[in-house]
Amino acid sequence: MNDHQTNEQSEERDLNQLIHDARGPLNRISMQAELIKLVLENDMPTDKALDAVNKILVSCQTCSHTLEQLSKSAKS
Amino acid sequence: MLKILLVDDDAEFTEVACHIIEFLGHDICTAGSLKEAYEWLENTTFDHIFLDFMLPDGSGLHLIDHLKNSNHESYITLITGHPLVKGILAGLCGPKVNYIAKPLQREDLEQALSRQEKPINAPHKNKTNSRLPQKHFDCLIGESEAMQELYTIISRIALTKANVMLLGESGVGKELVAQAIHNATNVAANGEAEMVATNCGALAKDLIASELFGHEKGAFTGAIGKKDGVFLRASSGTLFLDEITEMPIDMQPNLLRVLESNKVTPLGGTKEIDVNCRVISATNRSVEEIAESKVLREDIYFRLAVFPVSIPPLRKRKEDIPLLAAAFLEELNKEYNRTYQWRAEQIQRLTDYDWPGNIRELRHAIHRAFIMSDVDATNLTLPKDFRSPFSSVSENQHSLSAGRTIEDVEKELIRVTLDDVDGNKSLAAKMLGISTKTLYNRLHSYGELED
Repeated sequence: MNDHQTNEQSEERDLNQLIHDARGPLNRISMQAELIKLVLENDMPTDKALDAVNKILVSCQTCSHTLEQLSKSAKS
Repeated sequence: MLKILLVDDDAEFTEVACHIIEFLGHDICTAGSLKEAYEWLENTTFDHIFLDFMLPDGSGLHLIDHLKNSNHESYITLITGHPLVKGILAGLCGPKVNYIAKPLQREDLEQALSRQEKPINAPHKNKTNSRLPQKHFDCLIGESEAMQELYTIISRIALTKANVMLLGESGVGKELVAQAIHNATNVAANGEAEMVATNCGALAKDLIASELFGHEKGAFTGAIGKKDGVFLRASSGTLFLDEITEMPIDMQPNLLRVLESNKVTPLGGTKEIDVNCRVISATNRSVEEIAESKVLREDIYFRLAVFPVSIPPLRKRKEDIPLLAAAFLEELNKEYNRTYQWRAEQIQRLTDYDWPGNIRELRHAIHRAFIMSDVDATNLTLPKDFRSPFSSVSENQHSLSAGRTIEDVEKELIRVTLDDVDGNKSLAAKMLGISTKTLYNRLHSYGELED
Protein backbone atom coordinates (compact mmCIF):
# COMPACT_ATOMS: atom_id res chain seq x y z
CA MET A 1 0.00 0.00 0.00
CA ASN A 2 1.59 3.35 -1.04
CA ASP A 3 1.28 6.75 0.70
CA HIS A 4 -1.29 7.94 -1.83
CA GLN A 5 -3.60 5.02 -1.08
CA THR A 6 -3.09 5.49 2.69
CA ASN A 7 -4.01 9.18 2.38
CA GLU A 8 -7.13 8.36 0.38
CA GLN A 9 -8.26 5.84 2.98
CA SER A 10 -7.60 8.30 5.78
CA GLU A 11 -9.62 10.99 3.97
CA GLU A 12 -12.49 8.56 3.49
CA ARG A 13 -12.44 7.71 7.19
CA ASP A 14 -12.50 11.42 8.09
CA LEU A 15 -15.38 12.00 5.69
CA ASN A 16 -17.36 9.11 7.16
CA GLN A 17 -16.66 10.38 10.66
CA LEU A 18 -18.02 13.84 9.69
CA ILE A 19 -21.13 12.27 8.16
CA HIS A 20 -21.56 10.26 11.36
CA ASP A 21 -21.17 13.45 13.41
CA ALA A 22 -23.81 15.19 11.31
CA ARG A 23 -26.27 12.33 11.83
CA GLY A 24 -26.11 12.80 15.62
CA PRO A 25 -27.86 16.20 15.67
CA LEU A 26 -30.14 15.11 12.78
CA ASN A 27 -31.19 12.13 14.90
CA ARG A 28 -31.94 14.43 17.86
CA ILE A 29 -33.93 16.77 15.59
CA SER A 30 -35.94 13.85 14.22
CA MET A 31 -36.76 12.41 17.65
CA GLN A 32 -37.58 15.82 19.17
CA ALA A 33 -39.94 16.42 16.22
CA GLU A 34 -41.61 13.06 16.95
CA LEU A 35 -42.01 14.15 20.57
CA ILE A 36 -43.66 17.43 19.50
CA LYS A 37 -46.04 15.40 17.32
CA LEU A 38 -46.97 13.24 20.30
CA VAL A 39 -47.55 16.28 22.51
CA LEU A 40 -49.79 17.99 19.93
CA GLU A 41 -51.71 14.86 18.97
CA ASN A 42 -52.44 13.94 22.57
CA ASP A 43 -53.04 17.32 24.23
CA MET A 44 -50.06 16.87 26.52
CA PRO A 45 -48.47 19.85 28.36
CA THR A 46 -46.96 22.20 25.76
CA ASP A 47 -43.87 23.00 27.83
CA LYS A 48 -42.42 19.66 26.67
CA ALA A 49 -42.99 20.71 23.04
CA LEU A 50 -41.40 24.10 23.62
CA ASP A 51 -38.38 22.47 25.21
CA ALA A 52 -38.13 20.14 22.20
CA VAL A 53 -38.30 23.09 19.78
CA ASN A 54 -35.40 24.81 21.60
CA LYS A 55 -33.35 21.60 21.44
CA ILE A 56 -34.07 21.32 17.71
CA LEU A 57 -32.72 24.86 17.18
CA VAL A 58 -29.52 23.98 19.05
CA SER A 59 -29.09 20.77 17.04
CA CYS A 60 -29.58 22.72 13.79
CA GLN A 61 -26.64 24.92 14.75
CA THR A 62 -24.51 21.86 15.62
CA CYS A 63 -25.40 20.23 12.32
CA SER A 64 -24.59 23.42 10.41
CA HIS A 65 -21.19 23.58 12.09
CA THR A 66 -20.44 19.96 11.08
CA LEU A 67 -21.47 20.67 7.48
CA GLU A 68 -19.06 23.64 7.42
CA GLN A 69 -16.27 21.32 8.51
CA LEU A 70 -17.33 18.88 5.83
CA SER A 71 -17.19 21.65 3.25
CA LYS A 72 -13.70 22.70 4.39
CA SER A 73 -12.53 19.10 4.32
CA ALA A 74 -13.80 18.69 0.74
CA LYS A 75 -11.96 21.85 -0.37
CA SER A 76 -8.62 20.93 1.24
CA MET B 1 -45.50 -4.06 27.96
CA LEU B 2 -41.89 -4.79 27.15
CA LYS B 3 -38.84 -4.20 29.31
CA ILE B 4 -36.35 -2.28 27.19
CA LEU B 5 -32.73 -1.22 27.60
CA LEU B 6 -31.46 1.70 25.50
CA VAL B 7 -27.66 1.90 25.28
CA ASP B 8 -26.44 5.16 23.74
CA ASP B 9 -24.00 7.84 24.83
CA ASP B 10 -26.07 10.71 23.38
CA ALA B 11 -27.90 11.91 26.52
CA GLU B 12 -30.37 14.13 24.65
CA PHE B 13 -31.32 11.27 22.31
CA THR B 14 -31.80 8.78 25.17
CA GLU B 15 -33.99 11.28 27.05
CA VAL B 16 -36.32 11.93 24.12
CA ALA B 17 -36.35 8.26 23.08
CA CYS B 18 -37.41 7.38 26.66
CA HIS B 19 -40.41 9.73 26.40
CA ILE B 20 -41.48 8.16 23.10
CA ILE B 21 -40.93 4.53 24.13
CA GLU B 22 -42.78 5.10 27.42
CA PHE B 23 -45.62 6.61 25.44
CA LEU B 24 -45.70 3.40 23.40
CA GLY B 25 -46.44 1.62 26.67
CA HIS B 26 -43.06 0.09 27.54
CA ASP B 27 -40.76 0.17 30.51
CA ILE B 28 -37.33 1.58 29.58
CA CYS B 29 -33.91 1.82 31.23
CA THR B 30 -30.89 3.63 29.79
CA ALA B 31 -27.15 3.13 29.78
CA GLY B 32 -24.56 5.60 28.43
CA SER B 33 -21.74 3.08 28.08
CA LEU B 34 -21.01 -0.65 27.81
CA LYS B 35 -20.05 -0.65 31.50
CA GLU B 36 -23.43 0.72 32.54
CA ALA B 37 -25.18 -1.75 30.22
CA TYR B 38 -23.32 -4.71 31.79
CA GLU B 39 -24.39 -3.46 35.23
CA TRP B 40 -28.05 -3.42 34.16
CA LEU B 41 -27.77 -6.89 32.65
CA GLU B 42 -26.32 -8.36 35.83
CA ASN B 43 -29.66 -8.16 37.63
CA THR B 44 -32.29 -7.43 35.00
CA THR B 45 -33.69 -9.32 32.03
CA PHE B 46 -34.74 -7.18 29.08
CA ASP B 47 -37.10 -8.12 26.27
CA HIS B 48 -35.43 -5.77 23.83
CA ILE B 49 -32.13 -3.86 23.71
CA PHE B 50 -31.56 -0.81 21.51
CA LEU B 51 -27.81 -0.60 21.15
CA ASP B 52 -25.66 2.18 19.72
CA PHE B 53 -22.83 0.77 17.64
CA MET B 54 -20.15 3.21 18.77
CA LEU B 55 -19.93 3.66 22.52
CA PRO B 56 -17.28 5.53 24.57
CA ASP B 57 -15.82 2.31 26.01
CA GLY B 58 -16.16 -0.03 23.02
CA SER B 59 -18.39 -1.32 20.28
CA GLY B 60 -21.97 -2.50 20.64
CA LEU B 61 -20.76 -5.79 19.15
CA HIS B 62 -19.01 -6.53 22.47
CA LEU B 63 -22.37 -6.42 24.20
CA ILE B 64 -23.86 -8.79 21.61
CA ASP B 65 -21.02 -11.24 22.32
CA HIS B 66 -21.61 -10.85 26.05
CA LEU B 67 -25.33 -11.65 25.60
CA LYS B 68 -24.60 -14.65 23.40
CA ASN B 69 -22.35 -16.10 26.12
CA SER B 70 -24.92 -15.57 28.86
CA ASN B 71 -28.50 -16.75 29.19
CA HIS B 72 -30.05 -13.50 27.99
CA GLU B 73 -32.59 -13.95 25.19
CA SER B 74 -33.22 -10.31 24.39
CA TYR B 75 -34.03 -9.03 20.93
CA ILE B 76 -31.36 -6.55 19.82
CA THR B 77 -31.68 -3.57 17.54
CA LEU B 78 -28.39 -1.91 16.70
CA ILE B 79 -28.55 1.82 16.07
CA THR B 80 -26.01 3.26 13.74
CA GLY B 81 -25.28 6.58 12.12
CA HIS B 82 -22.08 5.45 10.44
CA PRO B 83 -22.38 4.67 6.73
CA LEU B 84 -19.57 2.09 6.81
CA VAL B 85 -21.14 0.11 9.62
CA LYS B 86 -24.42 -0.64 7.84
CA GLY B 87 -22.84 -3.32 5.67
CA ILE B 88 -21.18 -5.01 8.66
CA LEU B 89 -24.42 -4.97 10.65
CA ALA B 90 -26.47 -6.39 7.79
CA GLY B 91 -24.26 -9.47 8.00
CA LEU B 92 -24.92 -9.84 11.72
CA CYS B 93 -28.68 -9.66 11.48
CA GLY B 94 -30.77 -12.69 12.27
CA PRO B 95 -34.08 -13.49 13.89
CA LYS B 96 -33.05 -11.74 17.08
CA VAL B 97 -30.72 -9.02 15.79
CA ASN B 98 -31.54 -6.21 13.39
CA TYR B 99 -30.44 -2.63 12.87
CA ILE B 100 -31.88 0.80 12.28
CA ALA B 101 -30.04 3.83 10.92
CA LYS B 102 -30.03 7.37 12.26
CA PRO B 103 -31.88 9.71 12.00
CA LEU B 104 -34.58 7.67 13.71
CA GLN B 105 -38.34 8.11 13.60
CA ARG B 106 -41.02 6.81 15.93
CA GLU B 107 -42.03 4.23 13.30
CA ASP B 108 -38.48 2.78 13.37
CA LEU B 109 -38.83 2.11 17.08
CA GLU B 110 -42.36 0.72 16.71
CA GLN B 111 -41.28 -1.56 13.88
CA ALA B 112 -38.31 -2.90 15.83
CA LEU B 113 -40.55 -3.64 18.82
CA SER B 114 -43.35 -5.13 16.75
CA ARG B 115 -41.33 -8.35 16.39
CA GLN B 116 -42.28 -9.10 19.94
CA GLU B 117 -45.33 -9.35 22.11
CA LYS B 118 -47.95 -6.76 21.51
CA PRO B 119 -47.65 -3.74 23.81
CA ILE B 120 -50.64 -3.13 26.08
CA ASN B 121 -51.52 0.35 24.83
CA ALA B 122 -51.16 -0.31 21.12
CA PRO B 123 -53.68 -3.08 20.87
CA HIS B 124 -54.72 -2.77 17.26
CA LYS B 125 -51.40 -3.18 15.52
CA ASN B 126 -50.34 -6.80 15.99
CA LYS B 127 -51.90 -10.22 16.28
CA THR B 128 -50.78 -12.78 18.81
CA ASN B 129 -50.42 -16.42 17.91
CA SER B 130 -52.75 -17.56 20.64
CA ARG B 131 -55.96 -19.25 19.54
CA LEU B 132 -57.75 -17.26 22.22
CA PRO B 133 -58.96 -13.74 21.50
CA GLN B 134 -56.65 -11.06 22.71
CA LYS B 135 -57.57 -9.03 25.77
CA HIS B 136 -56.92 -5.39 25.02
CA PHE B 137 -55.70 -3.42 28.02
CA ASP B 138 -55.79 -6.78 29.80
CA CYS B 139 -59.58 -6.92 29.90
CA LEU B 140 -61.44 -5.96 26.69
CA ILE B 141 -62.24 -8.40 23.87
CA GLY B 142 -63.19 -7.41 20.33
CA GLU B 143 -61.59 -6.43 17.04
CA SER B 144 -64.57 -4.66 15.42
CA GLU B 145 -64.24 -1.11 14.11
CA ALA B 146 -66.37 0.19 16.98
CA MET B 147 -64.02 -1.40 19.50
CA GLN B 148 -60.90 -0.20 17.68
CA GLU B 149 -62.27 3.33 17.99
CA LEU B 150 -62.88 2.72 21.67
CA TYR B 151 -59.30 1.46 22.14
CA THR B 152 -57.94 4.61 20.51
CA ILE B 153 -60.09 6.77 22.81
CA ILE B 154 -58.88 4.79 25.86
CA SER B 155 -55.23 5.26 24.83
CA ARG B 156 -55.78 9.03 24.53
CA ILE B 157 -57.64 9.28 27.84
CA ALA B 158 -54.82 7.37 29.57
CA LEU B 159 -52.47 10.28 28.91
CA THR B 160 -54.71 12.77 30.72
CA LYS B 161 -56.29 13.08 34.16
CA ALA B 162 -59.72 14.01 32.81
CA ASN B 163 -62.86 12.63 34.43
CA VAL B 164 -64.72 10.27 32.13
CA MET B 165 -68.42 9.40 31.87
CA LEU B 166 -69.23 6.05 30.28
CA LEU B 167 -72.57 5.86 28.49
CA GLY B 168 -74.03 2.61 27.28
CA GLU B 169 -76.88 0.17 27.54
CA SER B 170 -77.07 -2.25 30.41
CA GLY B 171 -74.64 -5.15 30.01
CA VAL B 172 -72.20 -3.54 27.52
CA GLY B 173 -69.30 -3.78 29.99
CA LYS B 174 -68.96 -0.28 31.41
CA GLU B 175 -66.97 -1.44 34.42
CA LEU B 176 -64.55 -3.32 32.16
CA VAL B 177 -64.04 -0.19 30.05
CA ALA B 178 -63.35 1.73 33.28
CA GLN B 179 -60.84 -0.99 34.21
CA ALA B 180 -59.23 -0.67 30.75
CA ILE B 181 -58.83 3.10 31.18
CA HIS B 182 -57.34 2.48 34.61
CA ASN B 183 -54.92 -0.18 33.29
CA ALA B 184 -53.83 2.03 30.37
CA THR B 185 -53.30 4.97 32.74
CA ASN B 186 -51.16 2.83 35.03
CA VAL B 187 -49.03 1.73 32.06
CA ALA B 188 -48.63 5.30 30.76
CA ALA B 189 -47.70 6.56 34.23
CA ASN B 190 -45.68 3.46 35.09
CA GLY B 191 -47.79 3.28 38.23
CA GLU B 192 -49.35 0.66 40.45
CA ALA B 193 -52.42 2.59 41.60
CA GLU B 194 -55.73 0.85 42.30
CA MET B 195 -59.22 1.19 40.95
CA VAL B 196 -62.03 1.38 43.51
CA ALA B 197 -65.58 0.77 42.30
CA THR B 198 -68.86 1.62 43.98
CA ASN B 199 -72.47 1.51 42.81
CA CYS B 200 -74.35 4.73 43.55
CA GLY B 201 -77.67 3.00 42.86
CA ALA B 202 -77.05 0.29 45.43
CA LEU B 203 -76.24 2.54 48.39
CA ALA B 204 -78.80 3.50 50.98
CA LYS B 205 -79.36 7.26 50.92
CA ASP B 206 -78.11 7.63 54.50
CA LEU B 207 -74.88 5.80 53.76
CA ILE B 208 -73.83 7.49 50.48
CA ALA B 209 -71.87 10.30 52.16
CA SER B 210 -70.08 7.83 54.43
CA GLU B 211 -69.25 5.53 51.48
CA LEU B 212 -67.94 8.37 49.31
CA PHE B 213 -66.19 10.58 51.84
CA GLY B 214 -65.64 8.29 54.85
CA HIS B 215 -66.42 9.00 58.49
CA GLU B 216 -64.73 9.49 61.83
CA LYS B 217 -65.40 7.23 64.80
CA GLY B 218 -68.70 8.23 66.44
CA ALA B 219 -69.74 10.48 63.54
CA PHE B 220 -73.23 8.95 63.68
CA THR B 221 -75.03 6.14 65.46
CA GLY B 222 -73.37 2.90 64.43
CA ALA B 223 -70.07 4.52 63.38
CA ILE B 224 -68.05 2.35 65.72
CA GLY B 225 -64.78 3.02 63.97
CA LYS B 226 -63.12 5.35 61.50
CA LYS B 227 -63.71 4.53 57.81
CA ASP B 228 -61.97 5.84 54.70
CA GLY B 229 -64.29 6.82 51.84
CA VAL B 230 -63.85 5.60 48.29
CA PHE B 231 -62.30 8.93 47.22
CA LEU B 232 -59.47 8.37 49.68
CA ARG B 233 -59.12 4.66 48.93
CA ALA B 234 -58.75 5.43 45.22
CA SER B 235 -55.97 7.93 45.92
CA SER B 236 -53.74 8.43 42.85
CA GLY B 237 -55.81 5.80 41.05
CA THR B 238 -59.31 5.54 39.65
CA LEU B 239 -62.70 5.86 41.32
CA PHE B 240 -65.49 4.16 39.38
CA LEU B 241 -68.96 5.45 40.25
CA ASP B 242 -71.47 3.14 38.60
CA GLU B 243 -75.09 4.18 38.05
CA ILE B 244 -74.21 7.78 38.84
CA THR B 245 -77.63 8.99 37.69
CA GLU B 246 -79.24 6.99 40.51
CA MET B 247 -77.52 9.12 43.16
CA PRO B 248 -80.11 11.18 45.07
CA ILE B 249 -80.10 14.72 43.73
CA ASP B 250 -79.78 16.26 47.20
CA MET B 251 -76.46 14.38 47.69
CA GLN B 252 -75.00 15.72 44.48
CA PRO B 253 -73.84 19.14 45.80
CA ASN B 254 -71.49 17.32 48.23
CA LEU B 255 -70.02 15.35 45.34
CA LEU B 256 -69.67 18.53 43.28
CA ARG B 257 -67.68 20.17 46.06
CA VAL B 258 -65.16 17.30 46.09
CA LEU B 259 -64.87 17.31 42.30
CA GLU B 260 -64.22 21.06 42.28
CA SER B 261 -61.85 21.30 45.23
CA ASN B 262 -60.18 17.85 45.13
CA LYS B 263 -60.61 17.75 48.90
CA VAL B 264 -62.88 15.63 51.11
CA THR B 265 -63.99 16.10 54.67
CA PRO B 266 -65.04 12.79 56.26
CA LEU B 267 -68.37 12.85 58.16
CA GLY B 268 -67.73 14.08 61.68
CA GLY B 269 -64.26 15.28 60.69
CA THR B 270 -62.92 18.81 60.71
CA LYS B 271 -59.88 18.44 58.49
CA GLU B 272 -59.97 18.48 54.71
CA ILE B 273 -57.99 15.73 52.99
CA ASP B 274 -56.53 16.09 49.49
CA VAL B 275 -57.69 13.55 46.91
CA ASN B 276 -56.25 13.09 43.43
CA CYS B 277 -58.05 10.23 41.72
CA ARG B 278 -59.59 10.14 38.25
CA VAL B 279 -63.36 9.73 38.51
CA ILE B 280 -64.98 7.46 35.93
CA SER B 281 -68.75 7.48 36.20
CA ALA B 282 -71.22 5.34 34.29
CA THR B 283 -74.87 5.35 33.40
CA ASN B 284 -77.18 3.44 31.08
CA ARG B 285 -79.15 6.60 30.34
CA SER B 286 -78.46 8.64 27.21
CA VAL B 287 -77.17 12.22 27.44
CA GLU B 288 -80.58 13.46 26.21
CA GLU B 289 -82.36 11.44 28.90
CA ILE B 290 -80.03 12.78 31.59
CA ALA B 291 -80.77 16.35 30.48
CA GLU B 292 -84.54 15.83 30.17
CA SER B 293 -85.14 13.81 33.32
CA LYS B 294 -82.89 16.08 35.43
CA VAL B 295 -81.52 13.09 37.36
CA LEU B 296 -78.12 14.71 37.36
CA ARG B 297 -77.36 18.33 38.11
CA GLU B 298 -75.92 20.17 35.12
CA ASP B 299 -72.83 21.33 37.03
CA ILE B 300 -72.11 17.76 38.17
CA TYR B 301 -72.55 16.48 34.61
CA PHE B 302 -69.93 18.88 33.25
CA ARG B 303 -67.51 17.95 36.05
CA LEU B 304 -67.96 14.22 35.56
CA ALA B 305 -68.31 14.10 31.79
CA VAL B 306 -65.18 16.05 30.84
CA PHE B 307 -64.78 13.21 28.38
CA PRO B 308 -68.02 11.30 27.66
CA VAL B 309 -67.46 7.88 26.06
CA SER B 310 -70.24 5.88 24.41
CA ILE B 311 -69.81 2.11 24.53
CA PRO B 312 -71.39 0.35 21.54
CA PRO B 313 -74.14 -2.24 22.16
CA LEU B 314 -73.30 -5.81 21.14
CA ARG B 315 -75.71 -5.77 18.17
CA LYS B 316 -73.57 -2.96 16.65
CA ARG B 317 -70.44 -5.14 16.78
CA LYS B 318 -71.69 -8.60 15.92
CA GLU B 319 -68.32 -9.59 14.47
CA ASP B 320 -67.04 -9.67 18.06
CA ILE B 321 -69.59 -12.29 19.17
CA PRO B 322 -67.46 -15.30 18.04
CA LEU B 323 -64.45 -13.87 19.93
CA LEU B 324 -66.48 -13.26 23.08
CA ALA B 325 -68.10 -16.70 22.84
CA ALA B 326 -64.66 -18.34 22.49
CA ALA B 327 -63.32 -16.44 25.50
CA PHE B 328 -66.33 -17.20 27.73
CA LEU B 329 -66.30 -20.90 26.81
CA GLU B 330 -62.56 -21.10 27.48
CA GLU B 331 -63.08 -19.55 30.93
CA LEU B 332 -65.79 -22.08 31.77
CA ASN B 333 -63.77 -25.01 30.36
CA LYS B 334 -60.86 -23.96 32.55
CA GLU B 335 -63.01 -23.55 35.64
CA TYR B 336 -64.79 -26.91 35.30
CA ASN B 337 -61.99 -28.83 33.58
CA ARG B 338 -63.98 -29.53 30.40
CA THR B 339 -63.04 -29.38 26.72
CA TYR B 340 -66.22 -28.17 25.00
CA GLN B 341 -65.85 -26.58 21.60
CA TRP B 342 -68.09 -24.41 19.45
CA ARG B 343 -69.57 -25.68 16.20
CA ALA B 344 -69.75 -23.23 13.29
CA GLU B 345 -73.56 -23.28 13.19
CA GLN B 346 -73.73 -22.55 16.92
CA ILE B 347 -71.53 -19.49 16.49
CA GLN B 348 -73.79 -18.45 13.59
CA ARG B 349 -76.87 -18.72 15.84
CA LEU B 350 -75.19 -16.63 18.52
CA THR B 351 -74.23 -14.04 15.91
CA ASP B 352 -77.72 -13.91 14.40
CA TYR B 353 -79.35 -13.03 17.72
CA ASP B 354 -79.52 -9.34 18.72
CA TRP B 355 -78.61 -9.74 22.44
CA PRO B 356 -80.65 -6.84 23.84
CA GLY B 357 -79.04 -7.55 27.23
CA ASN B 358 -75.65 -7.20 25.51
CA ILE B 359 -72.51 -9.02 26.67
CA ARG B 360 -73.97 -9.83 30.09
CA GLU B 361 -76.84 -11.67 28.40
CA LEU B 362 -74.49 -13.48 25.99
CA ARG B 363 -72.28 -14.63 28.86
CA HIS B 364 -75.34 -15.74 30.82
CA ALA B 365 -76.72 -17.71 27.86
CA ILE B 366 -73.37 -19.47 27.34
CA HIS B 367 -73.13 -20.27 31.06
CA ARG B 368 -76.67 -21.70 30.99
CA ALA B 369 -75.80 -23.81 27.93
CA PHE B 370 -72.61 -25.00 29.63
CA ILE B 371 -74.52 -26.22 32.67
CA MET B 372 -77.12 -27.99 30.53
CA SER B 373 -74.60 -29.74 28.24
CA ASP B 374 -73.73 -33.43 28.42
CA VAL B 375 -70.52 -33.88 30.44
CA ASP B 376 -69.21 -36.52 28.00
CA ALA B 377 -69.98 -34.53 24.83
CA THR B 378 -67.41 -32.44 22.99
CA ASN B 379 -69.84 -29.71 21.94
CA LEU B 380 -72.03 -27.40 23.92
CA THR B 381 -75.83 -27.75 23.70
CA LEU B 382 -77.39 -24.37 23.00
CA PRO B 383 -81.01 -23.71 24.02
CA LYS B 384 -83.59 -23.43 21.22
CA ASP B 385 -84.47 -19.91 22.25
CA PHE B 386 -82.04 -17.36 23.67
CA ARG B 387 -84.76 -14.94 24.76
CA SER B 388 -84.99 -14.24 28.46
CA PRO B 389 -87.95 -12.46 30.15
CA PHE B 390 -85.78 -9.36 30.40
CA SER B 391 -84.54 -9.47 26.84
CA SER B 392 -88.04 -9.80 25.38
CA VAL B 393 -89.02 -6.57 27.17
CA SER B 394 -85.97 -4.86 25.75
CA GLU B 395 -86.67 -6.33 22.33
CA ASN B 396 -90.20 -4.99 22.36
CA GLN B 397 -88.99 -1.55 23.31
CA HIS B 398 -86.34 -1.80 20.69
CA SER B 399 -88.80 -2.85 17.97
CA LEU B 400 -90.39 0.59 17.91
CA SER B 401 -87.77 2.18 15.75
CA ALA B 402 -88.04 4.35 12.67
CA GLY B 403 -88.26 2.46 9.39
CA ARG B 404 -90.87 -0.13 10.45
CA THR B 405 -94.33 -0.12 8.87
CA ILE B 406 -97.51 0.41 10.89
CA GLU B 407 -98.70 -3.04 9.79
CA ASP B 408 -95.47 -4.55 11.06
CA VAL B 409 -95.75 -2.88 14.46
CA GLU B 410 -99.46 -3.80 14.70
CA LYS B 411 -98.62 -7.44 14.00
CA GLU B 412 -95.91 -7.36 16.66
CA LEU B 413 -98.28 -5.78 19.21
CA ILE B 414 -100.93 -8.45 18.57
CA ARG B 415 -98.32 -11.22 18.91
CA VAL B 416 -96.93 -9.83 22.19
CA THR B 417 -100.44 -9.37 23.61
CA LEU B 418 -101.46 -12.91 22.68
CA ASP B 419 -98.26 -14.25 24.25
CA ASP B 420 -99.07 -12.31 27.39
CA VAL B 421 -102.53 -13.85 27.76
CA ASP B 422 -101.51 -17.35 26.72
CA GLY B 423 -103.32 -17.09 23.36
CA ASN B 424 -106.72 -16.07 24.81
CA LYS B 425 -108.09 -14.10 21.82
CA SER B 426 -111.10 -12.56 23.61
CA LEU B 427 -108.87 -11.22 26.37
CA ALA B 428 -106.22 -10.07 23.87
CA ALA B 429 -108.88 -8.23 21.80
CA LYS B 430 -110.13 -6.52 24.96
CA MET B 431 -106.57 -5.45 25.87
CA LEU B 432 -105.96 -4.19 22.34
CA GLY B 433 -109.24 -2.23 22.32
CA ILE B 434 -110.64 -4.01 19.26
CA SER B 435 -113.46 -6.51 18.76
CA THR B 436 -112.71 -10.23 18.78
CA LYS B 437 -113.90 -10.34 15.17
CA THR B 438 -111.39 -7.66 14.15
CA LEU B 439 -108.62 -9.60 15.89
CA TYR B 440 -109.60 -12.77 14.00
CA ASN B 441 -109.64 -10.78 10.73
CA ARG B 442 -106.18 -9.41 11.42
CA LEU B 443 -104.76 -12.82 12.27
CA HIS B 444 -106.42 -14.26 9.16
CA SER B 445 -104.80 -11.60 6.97
CA TYR B 446 -101.39 -12.35 8.53
CA GLY B 447 -101.94 -16.03 7.79
CA GLU B 448 -101.51 -16.83 11.49
CA LEU B 449 -105.02 -18.11 12.19
CA GLU B 450 -104.74 -21.73 13.04
CA ASP B 451 -108.18 -22.57 14.36
